[in-house]
This record gives sequence, C-alpha cells and structure tokens, in this order.
Amino acid sequence: MQDFLKSMAASASGLSAQSARLRLTSENIANADTPGFRGKGVSFEAIHRGDGAVRTGSVSLSQAAFERVFDPTHPLAGEDGYYDGSNVNLMVEIADAREAQRSYEANLKMFDQARTMASSLLDLLRR
Amino acid sequence: MTPDLEIFRLSSALASHASARQSVIARNVAHVDTPGYTARDLPAFDDIMQKTSASPLRARQTREGHEASPDGPIRMQARAIDVDGTESPNGNSVTLEDQMVRAAETRRQHDLAMAVYRKSMEIFRLGLSRPR
Repeated sequence: MQDFLKSMAASASGLSAQSARLRLTSENIANADTPGFRGKGVSFEAIHRGDGAVRTGSVSLSQAAFERVFDPTHPLAGEDGYYDGSNVNLMVEIADAREAQRSYEANLKMFDQARTMASSLLDLLRR
Repeated sequence: MTPDLEIFRLSSALASHASARQSVIARNVAHVDTPGYTARDLPAFDDIMQKTSASPLRARQTREGHEASPDGPIRMQARAIDVDGTESPNGNSVTLEDQMVRAAETRRQHDLAMAVYRKSMEIFRLGLSRPR
C-alpha cells in the first residue's frame, strides 16, 4: 500500500509540474504581441528527498533577440519606424504546450492506474 | 492445515512486486521531461524468485544474515536498476511509450496476483464450509 501512495505522490508532483509549465506557455502565447515581452521558460528538477518527486526549477527569461516590427504609427516606434516586439516564438510555444499536455496525460494515467490497483487490493477485504 | 499456504505467499509477493514496480514507473513518468534523468525499473519477478529460492515456490535462506525463513512471507527486496533507452539531447532516457508498456505489464501482474489470491481464498473457504 505504501508503494501505491508513493506512486500517486510522484504522479501528482508530475501533474503539478506539467501544469505550471503549461501555464507559462499560455502566458507566453497571450503576450506574443506585447512589445518588449520576454518569453518565460522553466526546467524540471528532481527533489532529492527519497520519494523521487519532480518539481519545477526557477523561471528563466528567454534571451533571444526581440522581433523588430515596422509600424511608424505605433507609439513605441523609433525614428526609423521600428519597435521591439516580443521574443516569443509561437511555433516553439505550441510544440511545448503539446509536449506538456502529452506528459500531463501520461502522469494522469499512471495516477489512475495506481488508484485502480490500490482499490482492487482493498477489494480483497470486502468479502 | 495452515492458512500460510504457499499460494498466498506467492501471490502476495507478486502483488508487492507489482506495487513496487508501479511506484518506480510512476516516478519515471513524472520525470519524463527532467534533464539528465535515467529511467529505472525493477528486475522481473521470476528473476528475483529464481535468485531467492531453490524451487520456484520455496524461498531458501542462502546466508545467515538473511531473513528468508521458509515459513515467513517472501521478502521482495529488489533494487531498481537503470534501463537502456534512447537518450534525448537533454540527457533524459525516459521513453513514454516504453513506460506505458511497462505500466500495462505491471497492471496485468497485479491483476493476476489479486485473482489468484481471491480464487485461492474461495477454494479455502469452500473447504472449510459445511457440507450441503
């Protein structure tokens, strides 16, 4: 039974890590047109506490160059008519979101499986 | 007649192996995107049983310090080992498909243990019940 609890704890940590990642990705996509916005990213790391759970590390800002947008009517435009857009790459963000969703589903499936196995173990007591 | 039958010990050992394996696999899946993580798994159940017992059904004490007494429960003390897999550029070797197959195997193992336990218990009860 202890193993099932450990298994569910690991899956739950995976779920929360993946959803934190998905939240950052959707923030990036929402701000894809915000001038001067830097995309945020997060990396995962293991918690060294025996149960082997995962957590998100510190958030890092993307250091890619800003996109130069030509729009002389924009309030932020310089004398040459260009302003700094965000450095969010929509293609990368969508791929990241898809990967996060896939990993989230895998964690959910493992959680559900541990729950089913634990309940079938408890079913032995019922009769 | 003792209730500590071999079949109960064997099926409970199989169930505890399956649950330990489930927790190892759940950990792998949680770390599917952690850089530098290596996938792990427990050795197969029959490999462990062959190492701990002379006959497939009886655990044998191989050294004084070990606690594998023939009548106690079979102890499953397997250590997780690294498994080979394609390593992604960030040094992570977890393949989701491979883990899903292992998880399904574990599920099947656990179901088998539960079914054997329940069925043996039914037969045991039948033997104890009043003749009709």
